[in-house]
Amino acid sequence: MKTKENILLDIKDLHLWYRVYDGYLKVLNGVHLMVREGERIGLVGEAGCGKTTTMKSILQILPPGDFHIPQGQIFYKGQDVLKMSYKELQRLRSREIAMIFQDPTAALNPVFTIGTQIGDVIKYSSAFEENEHKEIIKEQSIKVLKEVYLPDPERILINYPFQLSGGMKQRVCIALCISSPRNLILADEPGTSLDVTIQDQIMRLLNGIVRKRNAAIILVTHSLGVAREMTDRIYVMYAGTIVETATPEVLFKNPVHPYTKGLLASVPKISGGGITKGIPGKLPSYLNPPSGCRFQPRCEQASPICSEKPPQLFEIEKDRLVACYLTQR
Amino acid sequence: MKQVTTNEILKIEKLKKYFHIGKNKQGPIYVKAVDGVDFNIKYGETLGLVGESGSGKSTIAYTVVGMYRPTSGQILFKGKNIGIEASKRPLPTKKEIQIVFQDPGSSLNPRQTVEQILALPFRIHTQIPKKQFREKMVELLEKVELSPDYLYKSPPSIGGGEKQMVAVARAIASEPLLIILDEPTSALDVSVQAKIINKLIELQNEMNLSYLFITHDLSLMRNVANRIAIMYLGKICEIADAVTFFKKPLHPYTQMLISSVPVITEEEENLKPKKVISTGEIPSPVNIPIGCSFHLRCPYKMPICSKVDPEMIEVSPGHTVRCHLFPKPGNK
Amino acid sequence: MRNSNQHNNSIAISLVRPKSIFWNNLGKNWYKFSRNKLSIVGLVIVTGIIISAIFAPWITPYPEHAGPFIDFNNAGQPPSLQHLCGTDTIGRDIFSRIIFAYHGALIMAFVVLLLAAPLGVFLGLIAGYLRNTWINTVIMRIVDIFIGIPSLILALAIAAMLEPNLMNSMIAISFGWWSWYTRLVYGMASSIRNEYFVIAADLTGASKFHILFREILPNCLSTVFTKMALDIGWVILIGASLSFVGLGEQPPTPALGQMVSDGAGYMPTLWWISIFPSLAIVLIILGFNLMGDGIRDMFEAGRE
Repeated sequence: MKTKENILLDIKDLHLWYRVYDGYLKVLNGVHLMVREGERIGLVGEAGCGKTTTMKSILQILPPGDFHIPQGQIFYKGQDVLKMSYKELQRLRSREIAMIFQDPTAALNPVFTIGTQIGDVIKYSSAFEENEHKEIIKEQSIKVLKEVYLPDPERILINYPFQLSGGMKQRVCIALCISSPRNLILADEPGTSLDVTIQDQIMRLLNGIVRKRNAAIILVTHSLGVAREMTDRIYVMYAGTIVETATPEVLFKNPVHPYTKGLLASVPKISGGGITKGIPGKLPSYLNPPSGCRFQPRCEQASPICSEKPPQLFEIEKDRLVACYLTQR
Repeated sequence: MKQVTTNEILKIEKLKKYFHIGKNKQGPIYVKAVDGVDFNIKYGETLGLVGESGSGKSTIAYTVVGMYRPTSGQILFKGKNIGIEASKRPLPTKKEIQIVFQDPGSSLNPRQTVEQILALPFRIHTQIPKKQFREKMVELLEKVELSPDYLYKSPPSIGGGEKQMVAVARAIASEPLLIILDEPTSALDVSVQAKIINKLIELQNEMNLSYLFITHDLSLMRNVANRIAIMYLGKICEIADAVTFFKKPLHPYTQMLISSVPVITEEEENLKPKKVISTGEIPSPVNIPIGCSFHLRCPYKMPICSKVDPEMIEVSPGHTVRCHLFPKPGNK
Repeated sequence: MRNSNQHNNSIAISLVRPKSIFWNNLGKNWYKFSRNKLSIVGLVIVTGIIISAIFAPWITPYPEHAGPFIDFNNAGQPPSLQHLCGTDTIGRDIFSRIIFAYHGALIMAFVVLLLAAPLGVFLGLIAGYLRNTWINTVIMRIVDIFIGIPSLILALAIAAMLEPNLMNSMIAISFGWWSWYTRLVYGMASSIRNEYFVIAADLTGASKFHILFREILPNCLSTVFTKMALDIGWVILIGASLSFVGLGEQPPTPALGQMVSDGAGYMPTLWWISIFPSLAIVLIILGFNLMGDGIRDMFEAGRE
């Protein structure tokens, strides 16, 4: 029974603007996202649609001063992140939510050993009382490296990031995230810079860890295949809005939103069948976004109402929401 | 006497490329990026080259186009050996072989305009008088579905997909015969990729081009290539036509790769071979294991695999594989 | 039908063609520059100095004091409303002389940089591109020598060998200054030469000239210009040091360093004779250095 207590993260109608020379880039235009405890969420969309911006705003790690949130709330365990004090945010970042970034090389500090970096995270996450003891930290570091199946953890602790391969570095990043118990993990395209077989391994590892610890995860990816295999529910994002959400089985069998349909049709299949022409047009300008539905300029089934007001997310059947006037006739 | 088949535009024979990176007590250390590779491309065909990082696929591309000089082996283009650096090749060869790189951000000069970028191949390889440059460039841009005002834009202000289209326009400006595409869409989104791949196929039919298409994306390969060659640590493991490659993959590495492709339909899921869990890291091309280079990760490893390197055997017409599971007929 | 299409295209193209990437983005570049408030302060200072230096003969209160002029009645006056910075021991208005001295300093800075930078950049490009050849070795070892000698010492040595005047002090400073540009551009050219767009040009058969000047150089220019802007301050300082020991502009033409040394013997009683020229030196260098941050931000090729 899904009660209100189960809801971990609830993003409501988030709007976000970046300030640039020519005005404002209205990147996020009403993002709705909900994560329950232990749920695996996929956030799927193409480059520039705002997925990383959304993730960063959950943790409030956007570049300071240059952005503006005209409306929206991000509720974590009932509290609005956007109104949190610095101390509360620090607690959120060190105890509750962790983030894995796309490029493991950029996420690790090249001038410190892995041991120092894991040790720092353990120390500052204050999950232990005796967190000052070097021995305890080292023990904990080795334990966490073993959990990500890194061979020879003792040696890894004294290695520098450049001595490790891409896959190993990403495992270290995952280890950093799980070095203390977390309720929510934000994974921003963790396998993208890795080879396919290694990506497969990393995804399985992440899946196993999340299951074991009953942590929730938001997996941001532009690979629909990965989302299908690793998530319980998928949110499809386009130009700063959520256009559709459903479970993977339902979504891939029967997409409703024209963008989702176009996206799925563009994915090449190993069963053959050639490649479609993709989706005509390109992402709208965030400086002067279209009024109404942001996909409307590229949509073959658009009607006049689509350019007047942006469609709201509407529940068309149980657990399935779509933001499109086609479903609201 | 070398047999030159007239329908082959490119023929690679026993190609090796080693990079010298130092010495140790036993002697000089080499990175054996490409370690004995044979394949050919027929006129009008797309040959797909698939593999993970360290497999050597990009090195082959760069050697064919002339960035590197082969350590040994032959590269026969239209029957003639061109195995030297591009700067030493005759101009017509440079005109006829072009390359599209993976990252359009670094393959286009950020301080030039599209007009300047396209002017280079026009100037060097065509007889078009300077006065007509702009006109011809607009025609070229039309071919890749870019509007004329792109001429004055510079790469930083153009999106990734469009930059790659400019790179393609640059490649076809000299009216080449063979284009090498090194992961042309790996850095792009799936819908943009669809557009570009479609355009490439259209251009291939229009201009009678042959493609050497390199990617790690197997689902893309299935829909683009006529034949597929899969590489591991500098050697080719298997070559087959696209349909057979997925229907009946023979080499364990091929099976492993196909089984780890993330797919989105049930139909595809059922087509995948039984899940072969890949264990361990990809070994580096400096420490290539003795015997079959794949044996350390192979679920079907036999004693002979760690001692002897298998040979390439033709299992059925057009389908070759290099694996001890398929020994040379007549051997024990 | 086809011809009218081409015709339309030509019209469309000629209408759209912008002057150049830099000027087209002037507004954007200003925005990037002005994010840094201190840079604007620097720009104001520098603009003020440049304008007053250009219009010196018309805006200074006593323009004739910058030439042969003696008035012992007025000598040694402290700062007052008639003489904002006081007068020196010969009775000349220090404020006017400072403005004229700025004139000389700015000319020197621009000429030195216009001599040293192109030469240095050219050699750096060649050395960076032809990495494993004797040309590279020769150029870079010569650069090592010149960089190893402190610029002031070198300039002093050269200037001492020549007749002391403005032209020769400019030559003296340029003599070693080019080497820093060579080293800068050498580093950049060596790494840019491995970028894919350079390789693509090479593979398709571009000449070495094209690669050096059309592919590599445009990518070095922004760093070079930033360095030039920051160097102006240093060149002025070295120039002032030369004129301090009498190796620059000769009297009666005013030069900042020379004015400082004139008053050195009268410190601390007639303090204004040295202090104001010193402050003038500080001001101009400060102005250019503050601008430097903004210039660097402006030239950064970021995402648009």
